[in-house]
Amino acid sequence: MRYSPALIDHFRNPRNAGLMPSPDATGESEYAGCGDLARFYLRVRAGRAADVRFQTYGCGPTIAAASAGSELATGRRVKELMGLDRDAVEEALGGLPPDRKHAADVVAAAIRAAARDWVSRHV
Amino acid sequence: MTRRVYLDHNASTPVHPEVIEAMLPYLGERYGNPSSIHAFGQEARDGLETARERIARFLRVGKDEIVFTSGGTESDNLAVKGVAAARGSGHIVTSRIEHHAVLRTCQTLERQGFAVTYLPVDEHGLVDPDDVRRAIRPDTILVTVMHANSEVGTIEPIEEIGRVVRERGIPFHVDGVQTFGKVPVDVEGSGIDLLSFSSHKIYGPKGVAGLYVRKGTKMAAIQHGGEHERRRRAGTENVPGIVGLGKAVEVRGREMTAEAARLTALRDRLTEGVRARVPEVRVNGHPARRLPGTANLGFRHVESESIVLGLDLKGVAVSAGSACTSGNVEPSHVLVAMGVPLDWAMGAVRCSLGRSTTAEDVDYVIECVEPIVRKLRAASPVAAV
Ligand SMILES: Cc1ncc(COP(=O)(O)O)c(C=O)c1O
Repeated sequence: MRYSPALIDHFRNPRNAGLMPSPDATGESEYAGCGDLARFYLRVRAGRAADVRFQTYGCGPTIAAASAGSELATGRRVKELMGLDRDAVEEALGGLPPDRKHAADVVAAAIRAAARDWVSRHV
Repeated sequence: MTRRVYLDHNASTPVHPEVIEAMLPYLGERYGNPSSIHAFGQEARDGLETARERIARFLRVGKDEIVFTSGGTESDNLAVKGVAAARGSGHIVTSRIEHHAVLRTCQTLERQGFAVTYLPVDEHGLVDPDDVRRAIRPDTILVTVMHANSEVGTIEPIEEIGRVVRERGIPFHVDGVQTFGKVPVDVEGSGIDLLSFSSHKIYGPKGVAGLYVRKGTKMAAIQHGGEHERRRRAGTENVPGIVGLGKAVEVRGREMTAEAARLTALRDRLTEGVRARVPEVRVNGHPARRLPGTANLGFRHVESESIVLGLDLKGVAVSAGSACTSGNVEPSHVLVAMGVPLDWAMGAVRCSLGRSTTAEDVDYVIECVEPIVRKLRAASPVAAV
């Protein structure tokens, strides 16, 4: 198998997939090269991402990365999430093949955008 | 153990047991070089020539008109570059939906000074013979149009195109890799001068194929060396592979007609089953003029590769209609040429059925597809459902 067991598990059972009604913040990122799209929604309590949901359009790794990213982000301080590194997402997936690195990029960028959205309005 | 269903026969097929058996002696004791005059060489030569005769008979052409190559790609290269080299300059007519083995060869020739016309296709992927007629110029040296497209399965009107081309006395090359041994190919009736055919699409081994070259066709060799293949393709022949190809053709001769009818029914069962369960699905390709086992399904607002991965995890092998390579998505050039809108083209999945495919396999795939597409759409920001 071309993908790690962790990636396959996230793809098979994505955590936190779907729309969030009236979120406290949203962030989006599109990967220009291939049209992969990730959108993240945050519910924020006491400065932390209490609930995280996402929607994605893209290849399997992008869907898995969004799921892993949503787990990573849950419970974290929103200010911290503004600096979320794509490597953390890739690590949570147990690695990505060279031609699928963009999956972690697009997801980390969307989470950072959601965090910025909240901070810009609340801090 | 999950069920395993292989629906990627247009990519490659399992080698038929009779083919393996026929090849084995040539991987073992019959190892001579077919160009050698001693007994070892002659044994290998016999295997080679028996295969050549079988294929010639199958195509109803002369034995000396068959050239063996290393694959469909080489056959296409030899035909197109070989005719171009024999003429030195001029104009080539082809279509926008050719396999890359033809398209990129034409593009390379363009850089070397040849002119090329890439004909459009209609929404079903058909080339219009009248477009061919209009594209032909006084300096046209070759017309090359595929018989059936590997992605959508559309079968081109090569008889009509062949008539147009023959009237003008221009060599006509047909890439028959996807039809050879699957549906009848009428070399004479279609006025074909060069026909590419391959082995691994018809239950033969990989890395071996052939090119039919009508007697009298001016085609230069593109690979130089010894006197092999009547100096049209230098290099010691892949004897075990060619023996396998010959056997594969013999088996197809027996099975082809019944198999085509069976696969057409299974293919329709698949598309009907998916359409009944999944909203926003289209069938890409011609509704009737289509390869028996090929169904290209477009799922709107879902990305092909995520469906392919989802099915792979269920043990089902299909192929993605659009490929994302290094973060650069390329919607299939075939679907683009057919004018399939991007939100459908990006979700194209090709299912190609074959000898081993059963009705139970098809029903299992239908069952698997629905929840995969539903879940992907549920998590998609672009899907309305
Ligand atoms: C229409 C067509 N032409 C050429 C080829 C190349 O054949 P091969 O894989 O034998 O090089 C293929 C294989 O996919 C094909 O479908």
